[in-house]
Amino acid sequence: MTARAEVTRPVAYQQPSRWHRIIASEHLAGWAFVAPAVILIAVFALIPIGWSLLLSFQANNLLAPGHYVGLANYKALTKDPQFKSAIGHTIVYTAVFVPISVIGALGLAVALNRKIRGMRFYRLAVFVPLVTSTVATGIVFLWLLDPTFGLVNYVLHALGLPQQKFLQDPNQALYCIVAMTVWGWLGFDVIVYLAALQGIPQDLLEASEIDGASKWATFRSVVLPLLSPATLFLVVWSTINALQLFDEIYVTTHGGPLGATTVLVYYLYQQAFQFFNAGYGAAIAYVLFVGILIITLFQLWVGRRRVYYTS
Amino acid sequence: MASTSTATVDRLVRLDAPEKPRRRLPFSPWHLFLVPVALIMLLPLIWMVILSLETSSEAQSFPPVVLPSGLHFHNYVTTWNSEPFGNFFLNSAIYSVTTVAGNLLFCSLAAYAFARLKFWGRDVLFIVLLATLMVPFQVLLIPTFLIVKHLGLVDSVGGLIMPNLCTAFGIFMLRQFFRTLPIELEEAARIDGTSRLGILFKIVLPLSLPALATLGIIQFMWSWNDFLWPLIIIDTASHAPLQLGLSTLQGAHRSHWNLVMAGTVMSQIPMLVAFLVAQRWFIRSIAFTGIKQ
Amino acid sequence: MKRICLIVVTGALIVAGCGSSSKSSSTGTSAGSGSGSGHVNITLWHGYTDVEGTAIKALAKEFNATHPNITVTPQFYGNSDYALQKVLAAIAGGKPPDISYLYGSWAANIATNPTTVNLAPYIAKDPSWNWNDFWQAARNVTTVNGKIIGVPALIDNLALVYNKKLFAQAGIPLPTANWTWTDFENAAIKLTDPSKKQFGWAYVNDASEDTVWRFWAMLWQAGGSILSPDGKQAAFDSPAGLKAMTLLQTLAKHNSIYFDDGSDVYPGVFNSGHIGMLWTGPWDLSQITGHQPYGVSTLPADQNHQTISGPDNWVVFNNGAARVNAAITFLKWFTSPKIDLKWATMTGDLPIRASAAKLPGYQAFVKKYPGIAAWVANLANATQSRPVTTTYPKISTAVGQAVQSVLLGKADPQQALSQAAQQVNGILSAPS
Repeated sequence: MTARAEVTRPVAYQQPSRWHRIIASEHLAGWAFVAPAVILIAVFALIPIGWSLLLSFQANNLLAPGHYVGLANYKALTKDPQFKSAIGHTIVYTAVFVPISVIGALGLAVALNRKIRGMRFYRLAVFVPLVTSTVATGIVFLWLLDPTFGLVNYVLHALGLPQQKFLQDPNQALYCIVAMTVWGWLGFDVIVYLAALQGIPQDLLEASEIDGASKWATFRSVVLPLLSPATLFLVVWSTINALQLFDEIYVTTHGGPLGATTVLVYYLYQQAFQFFNAGYGAAIAYVLFVGILIITLFQLWVGRRRVYYTS
Repeated sequence: MASTSTATVDRLVRLDAPEKPRRRLPFSPWHLFLVPVALIMLLPLIWMVILSLETSSEAQSFPPVVLPSGLHFHNYVTTWNSEPFGNFFLNSAIYSVTTVAGNLLFCSLAAYAFARLKFWGRDVLFIVLLATLMVPFQVLLIPTFLIVKHLGLVDSVGGLIMPNLCTAFGIFMLRQFFRTLPIELEEAARIDGTSRLGILFKIVLPLSLPALATLGIIQFMWSWNDFLWPLIIIDTASHAPLQLGLSTLQGAHRSHWNLVMAGTVMSQIPMLVAFLVAQRWFIRSIAFTGIKQ
Repeated sequence: MKRICLIVVTGALIVAGCGSSSKSSSTGTSAGSGSGSGHVNITLWHGYTDVEGTAIKALAKEFNATHPNITVTPQFYGNSDYALQKVLAAIAGGKPPDISYLYGSWAANIATNPTTVNLAPYIAKDPSWNWNDFWQAARNVTTVNGKIIGVPALIDNLALVYNKKLFAQAGIPLPTANWTWTDFENAAIKLTDPSKKQFGWAYVNDASEDTVWRFWAMLWQAGGSILSPDGKQAAFDSPAGLKAMTLLQTLAKHNSIYFDDGSDVYPGVFNSGHIGMLWTGPWDLSQITGHQPYGVSTLPADQNHQTISGPDNWVVFNNGAARVNAAITFLKWFTSPKIDLKWATMTGDLPIRASAAKLPGYQAFVKKYPGIAAWVANLANATQSRPVTTTYPKISTAVGQAVQSVLLGKADPQQALSQAAQQVNGILSAPS
């Protein structure tokens, strides 16, 4: 306490230079700390992003020399019905995927944060889908969900429930993709929550129980707030990822059936690498980028007010 | 001041507080929940292993043969010998370990600054870095290739590594974790005259082992599983990392699906091992006990 | 820990440095080289795996041994669409491979690239190419606006593969060369048995080109064509197109079709005895041989027995005169009758030259791959080709959606055709 008071109490005529030194050094320190990261990210991420922005103003098939067309690509997007339905599919997917995976992971992490026998095995089991390549995951789910020979319909049949068409039904396909990606990504959220749970002081939990609070009340008023930084991170990260869904679609439904699973990045890929319209694809990427940025900023703003940092 | 420091050291050394004694059941009821969950999660891996032990002929049927006639472990040997898998593993190991080390180091430095230091342009810079996560790679792969080409790193492991040496993901995650640490320890150390770098390495990072382990395992997994970027940047088979090397097994048509599965299973084992190793750092990080206001 | 980090990161930079120096010293990079001593190194990018992967390495080795001034290095570039991204990146970086295997459907767009070599003058100068010995369908895809931008790399076609056992069980006479659509339709319906999870036919229903090209075959068999002769209007929206779509609708309504979602499981389903008939090509032989007893026949006819082929090209990119010449020398050798038959025998791909059937090694080839003779003979029925235009991928998507909607029962044939035709006309009239 005393030391801190010493630092802030103004000292006569010596104060400006020491004050400036301190302020300057925190700015300098801050930039020095971020410098390596900023340089690497600037070179390998920001420059490519800039290049793609330029591409979005061109008519370019990446083969013949392109030419600038100003905002023509963007204007064409406003009249493109497939672009609009891609936006719809992307938003629906994200809105379903993020809550399910974050809340599900929270529950699973709490279950895995105990000292019972076999815990390492259970944690490993939850991690396995995360390391399974998308191709392998896609093949497995295509088999499980095959309308004729798949395991899921077999089980439904045994339970007397009607057979479903799953990935071949335009109304069901996107939700099947949700199931597939939740399965594949749950482990990621679980690990993050597990790491965050390690940081919850044991005596706070004990104090709450001694005070007579139920386990659920303890969870709600002690654990959840302390996990909120991790929750914010996972919500933001899952949203950014979900809005850029591609691999699972590429491996399973190819955007179908009847375009039901054509999400924005898949549409962009079709434009750039199947129709040879790379400039148009870049424009789609930029509209998506702006959308993601706005959503993320909104989430961070909400987080600023709702997230509890112990410091 | 001195007493605070020693007390801090003591607490850093102490491990888990003991669990309260509880009624012993024959087994914990949590098993009833966790076993089905584990099975669902493991189902594809089990299926891949079964497929990898079948003959080519059995693996060519759909629906797949669930009970193979015999366990053909030699599929793994055949697969290993069919391509320079030793090279693939080595290249992947270099790629993964280096990107993990790079991310742990550079992201820690940056995350600490974003979490604790006030510097000009901090919040805008954070958003700018975060924004680099918001553009899909399909759009960025050609310009990234051009940059790596200008650096003369095409067809080399260096070319694989450089764009992935530090990403905004790690910065964001660690920033969140660092902000959950009680600031009093760091302030105390600052008053003691420790440099900021010292605070980071002696106080913040040791308390953040679970977060660092998480970042490490995630980055390891991304590098280990990376396919598209290695495809773009690597030309020579001997420089290829694992997923790219595996794709040479995968024909457009499935005549040897059993071998492809054997290769896939082999490729996953190191990640599972790395996960088990990283779990050792998922211990309760301690220093909160007893810091009274 | 800090020290360890620094060491590892320094190590990474050293490795990066090694990487770049090893690049300059190796000769097998995409840069290749043409040295003053007359020796030329060229790279060949391909997507071959499995048997074909082994074959390309073996043949490249043979070429290098017999041509001391040229070294060809085959390099694997991934499969299907991923390959295009790699090739585009290389082109953007100014260092394309010397030779690349590229899908025929990309030909028109590849032709717009200034470094794509126009082979027409080289072929005109050298009659020993025997250019017209290549099957017509393959040659159609090498030529764009009068320029020859590729050498045929692959030829195939769709034929009818049927399960003899299932036909016998259902009491249906086996398909013959005189089979009509009616025979086909009746057989497919008779072979369908939901209680046994048995289907009469399989169809790839992911709205991709795989969905579309089978429909084109049907369209041609019914006497129709894809576009008008001037290429400016859709022509599939015709009585022939309607007949084809209606056949698809009928079979779908009877649940006679196993829909493959694009992941290629239908050969596996055929192998487990659940599908009566396939319209497929020789590429599936390696997977279906040794399972069900099968036969191969021409596709059923409406007005004719036309089939469709999906040829691909070897494209040469300009990295300087020396390397272009070396590349052309290699391709001429590789596609020469004897070497090509050798390739066919090693891989099960069809020979790309019509004269192959007269070579002494041909019988060994036919014996090695039971049923393949039918596909070779069927090449004579591959008289039409898909339009080689830059807009073809968009046309394919529009028609693919139409076919998929009919198969899923979401649209009726006339409706789907009209809508697709409208879209295609829009695509064709849009300024490029």
